[in-house]
Amino acid sequence: MARSSVLRNAGWLWLVASIAVLVVGFRQAIFLVPTEATMGNVQRIFYYHLPHAILGLVFPYVNFLASLAFLFWRHRDPLKALTADALAVAAAEVTVLYVGITLATGMLWGKPAWGIWWAWDARLTSELLLWLLYVSYLLVRRFSMSGQTGVLAAVLSIFAAIDVPIVFMSIRWWRTQHPAPVFGEGGSLDPSFYPAVLWNLAGWAMWGILILTFRFALERRRQLNEQEEALRAIEASLEIPK
Amino acid sequence: MTWQTFFDFSTMGHRHLIFVYAGVWLVQLGYLTWIALNWRKSTRN
Repeated sequence: MARSSVLRNAGWLWLVASIAVLVVGFRQAIFLVPTEATMGNVQRIFYYHLPHAILGLVFPYVNFLASLAFLFWRHRDPLKALTADALAVAAAEVTVLYVGITLATGMLWGKPAWGIWWAWDARLTSELLLWLLYVSYLLVRRFSMSGQTGVLAAVLSIFAAIDVPIVFMSIRWWRTQHPAPVFGEGGSLDPSFYPAVLWNLAGWAMWGILILTFRFALERRRQLNEQEEALRAIEASLEIPK
Repeated sequence: MTWQTFFDFSTMGHRHLIFVYAGVWLVQLGYLTWIALNWRKSTRN
């Protein structure tokens, strides 16, 4: 069987598995875990908010590592650098998606729970800043005319990655409107809620890997087509006119 | 919670719960569809 056919089948299988895990997660979150005592059913927003928030802090590091690889290889091995660049752009888009969903679901939860859509506390502000940094990263890639777009974007990616630990630590370093950590050691989350959290975390992680890989493949195809067009243009320019 | 109470639009909390669950799926599937459409458009040379 051809390699592309095996990859296509693996992609379909991964999509089906992701949806299956997400269906289990939905069932756990809506129908099976007990209703939280103080907030009631609106607390079930948490099971979609938390996985996106966690993964929104993981994908920036894929972008960061790919950007470092791009800077390392851009003179040593330009073909490898192009591959790293494709992974960086895919990870940046998925970051914007996941962080954007985190902000939106947080606001939709905040209004009924706190009575306000937004508070300028350290967690919310640093998360918004993270989203804006990756939006600006994509805008630089889209509109920069410098001829050094890859380098500019990679350097911006390094600055953007600095915000990730600040977002993570913000609820530990400062008193915020956003709740303190609820998961892990010292967390206030009752173990009866764990299945909904873990199934949804697994499901949205699998989904994220799927869209990251698919977007990466699309970017690689775009790069290869661009290279072939450039080669054809050079060949055409070398032809002797009759 | 049941399907009936899930689709209860009477309070803000319930409305926002549905907006989150429907909205997240809509946005995620929308992005996947956008990639798939571009994939189909960009045939390999």
